Amino acid sequence: MAKYGLLVFPERCTGCNACNIACASHNQLGVDVSYNRLEFLETGTYPNVKMEILPVQCQHCDNAPCVSVCPTQATYKREDGIVAIDADKCIGCKYCMAACPYEARQLNEKRVPEKCRWCPEMLEKGEQPACSATCMNEVRLFGDLEDPNSQLNKELAKHEVYQLLEVKGTKPSIFYVKK
Amino acid sequence: MTNLSRRTFLKASATVVAAGSVPAYFGFSEFKKAATEESVKKVPTFCHGCTSYCGIIAHVKNDRVWKVEGHPIHLKSSGRICARGHGMAAYLYSKDRVTGPMKRVGEGKFEPISWNQAFKEIGEKLESIVKQYTGNSVLWLEHGTHRKSYVDRLFDTIGSPNFTTQYSTCFNAKTNAWLQMTGTSLNGDHKNAKYMIFEGRNFAGGIIPNGMNHITQAKEKGAKLIVIDPRFSEIAKIADEWIPIRPGTDLAFRLSMANVLISENLYNKTFVQQFVDGFSEFKRMNKEYTPEWAEPITGIKADKIREIARDYAKYAPQAFIEPGWHGLHSHYVNSTQTAQMGIILNALVGNFYEKGGLMPSASLQLGHLDLPSIENMPEKGARIDGAGVTGKYRTVEPSRGIAQITPQLVQQGLAKAVFICNYNPLRTAPDPEEQKKIKDAELVVSINIDWNETSYYAADYILPEHYYLERLEHPQAVSGHISHDNPQLALRQPVIKPMYDTKNTLDMLKGIADAMGHKDLYPFTIEQEVEAAIAPLGITFEQLKKAGTLEFPATVKPGFPMKKGKPALPTLTGKIQFSADLFKIDGKLGIPVWVPPLVEPDPKNDHEFRLIHGKQPWHSHAMTTNIEHLMKLSEKYQGTFMWLNASRAKKLGIKTGDTVTVKSKIAQKKVQVKVTELLHPEAAWLPSTYGGFSPKNRTANGVGVNFNDFIPIMVDPLSGSTMAQEVVVTVAKEGN
Repeated sequence: MAKYGLLVFPERCTGCNACNIACASHNQLGVDVSYNRLEFLETGTYPNVKMEILPVQCQHCDNAPCVSVCPTQATYKREDGIVAIDADKCIGCKYCMAACPYEARQLNEKRVPEKCRWCPEMLEKGEQPACSATCMNEVRLFGDLEDPNSQLNKELAKHEVYQLLEVKGTKPSIFYVKK
Repeated sequence: MTNLSRRTFLKASATVVAAGSVPAYFGFSEFKKAATEESVKKVPTFCHGCTSYCGIIAHVKNDRVWKVEGHPIHLKSSGRICARGHGMAAYLYSKDRVTGPMKRVGEGKFEPISWNQAFKEIGEKLESIVKQYTGNSVLWLEHGTHRKSYVDRLFDTIGSPNFTTQYSTCFNAKTNAWLQMTGTSLNGDHKNAKYMIFEGRNFAGGIIPNGMNHITQAKEKGAKLIVIDPRFSEIAKIADEWIPIRPGTDLAFRLSMANVLISENLYNKTFVQQFVDGFSEFKRMNKEYTPEWAEPITGIKADKIREIARDYAKYAPQAFIEPGWHGLHSHYVNSTQTAQMGIILNALVGNFYEKGGLMPSASLQLGHLDLPSIENMPEKGARIDGAGVTGKYRTVEPSRGIAQITPQLVQQGLAKAVFICNYNPLRTAPDPEEQKKIKDAELVVSINIDWNETSYYAADYILPEHYYLERLEHPQAVSGHISHDNPQLALRQPVIKPMYDTKNTLDMLKGIADAMGHKDLYPFTIEQEVEAAIAPLGITFEQLKKAGTLEFPATVKPGFPMKKGKPALPTLTGKIQFSADLFKIDGKLGIPVWVPPLVEPDPKNDHEFRLIHGKQPWHSHAMTTNIEHLMKLSEKYQGTFMWLNASRAKKLGIKTGDTVTVKSKIAQKKVQVKVTELLHPEAAWLPSTYGGFSPKNRTANGVGVNFNDFIPIMVDPLSGSTMAQEVVVTVAKEGN
């Protein structure tokens, strides 16, 4: 069984948001919903300044707070590591939204707290999901953490990585490359 | 089917799958089923989100476009496309498309008419205008040259020389300089470069996805990237160094860089001797432009200029100054000289036709239909905008013209009929209030897909074109922006049937010509045109349709073009001409010397700024602003805000989110501000995107302001460009 993971190279991101719109198209999202966002951070003072960009989305945590707080098991962890939502079971209580430290969820027009699905239909075919496939700077690399020969594991071995809010103990499946 | 929203479309496809059990909400669990079980037709074509024209593959379900992906072969996309490419595909289903021909019946009022009525009325009106004022009073404005071959047949018939593109508002200082000095146009070989200078050029904003990919690949291999720009643009984010420059002074920086290369003997003497004409004159006139001279002008330390020049020479010929497009090349009175210096700096280090330096894009020779020649062709007069005309704008390329002065041509009675195709001068040319006067022409026809400002305020007739995903076009050789050795051919073809009562422009011209009595002016179909175009290539229409983009064996090799042992560029000398002959006329110098910007903000006045602009990576200037998903990004990221440098904003008591009044000689507007350290203190920066004012383009209408609101109509006498950053504005917090 595969266990999906994602490696992000924030240094390469130039903030074009192709990931955002490719995702919206692929998933046919309403205009008010977006599964990923970019956090922009300016540091320093003119002219010695830097711009950092951090792509943030559902972290598909191993210890997912949204799963444990969901009263109806609408949010659940799949065997392949994907945190999924059964919209039919969702009662719109928004506990998951409150519990998620990454602010990864957004209410859609049906009051379901939507979030990134990790496009399993693409991962299962060994393809990159829409956000990664369209990225001109190759910021995202998806793959199977269980497969020692996956490109993901090869790249993970090459780089020093960190996870977002490790202190929360959520054990995200997304790894970010340190500069 | 056409009334369903896109989301409902997927519901519909799920319905098929679920055989009647329609889910109340098409959620995640259903998606996988729909995605795997519903058949998806994949049709290759190319994008229309900007002029990079990336190859795309459209995914079609239930005869509706689901999404698009980058075409893996196409040079520009190489499997990837940007946000506007995705957004543009969804815009097919916009509620603001023009669904059939329209005739103006009052201010902001239109009534639908039939194509026959449109052709009859436009044809008769045009015929009477030509009879009364000659064909020279007829003007065609288009974004580019896509439909030029069609327009030419009508214009040859009526005797009009006035085919005009929007290039004078975009980049023609650059193309003009390259044409005069080299007779060609080269591109950065980003993939193999070791040192790249991007000055006023933001590849990550005006995006060529594969170009960016080449840059990041080169950087992984250790290449250095220097970005010189008053604004920390998106490409500065991945640069080794961002060097803010005083806006309008790039020419001084370039002159002093050349000075260092020559005075420190860092230039490539062998190359210059063999391939450059006019070097000694240039050297003589460049002597005074030391880095110390440039420092107070540019705000860049003399030592830094030396360092960049030395590094540039060290890595040459695998080094280049990006030739650029819009960024520096229609904005200042010195843009033509700045473009000339771009060529000169590249030539000085001998990077022409070198891997990792500047290389050509492989081209293709396409075939043409053998069309009957036009009989009794009337003699064409001089262009009414004066482009290429002695005594007027002699040095401006007549094939491109001067778009921004159209309202003046109308007011002067020179332009009586104006056709505006895939172009929106009321929003994208300077001084919109003035541009509105285009409506005073006796006949104004707007050919477009939505209700842009030009259609809404100026057109007597709106003729809706098929959307780019609905139409077939003459195939295009893929070229420009990035170098490549293998020629490619791309086809734009319909991925779905036209949704509304729209036409392609060829059929519109046929209809109008017919109504004017010029029967059989266009005795061909686009299909026949495609067949003729590909005939010399040994491929079939079917092959091209299936592939979308085809790549042919490499034709480009490094090495300066030579003929019988002599340099063979298409210039007078066969060499790169540092002194462009054409620019020498009227007592002007052909060699670039320092020309200060036309206007300067008063350094003692805390309220004065130079207004500059640039592209946002998710919009193509104004043409994508009516796309809901893209405008949502603008909302999310404060994308409509005007940038001000933090120290300057503080002096004026302005914080991020505050509304300010921006005032130039011609306009006063209110806009919200983003306070940032990422901008030169002298500049106020606006995204070149917003300020939509067509009430029928509902998403864009009333959002933000536009740099064009503030600039008077001006013409750079050398290249005809708009000088769109030669404007000083005052900024004051609302209430002050």
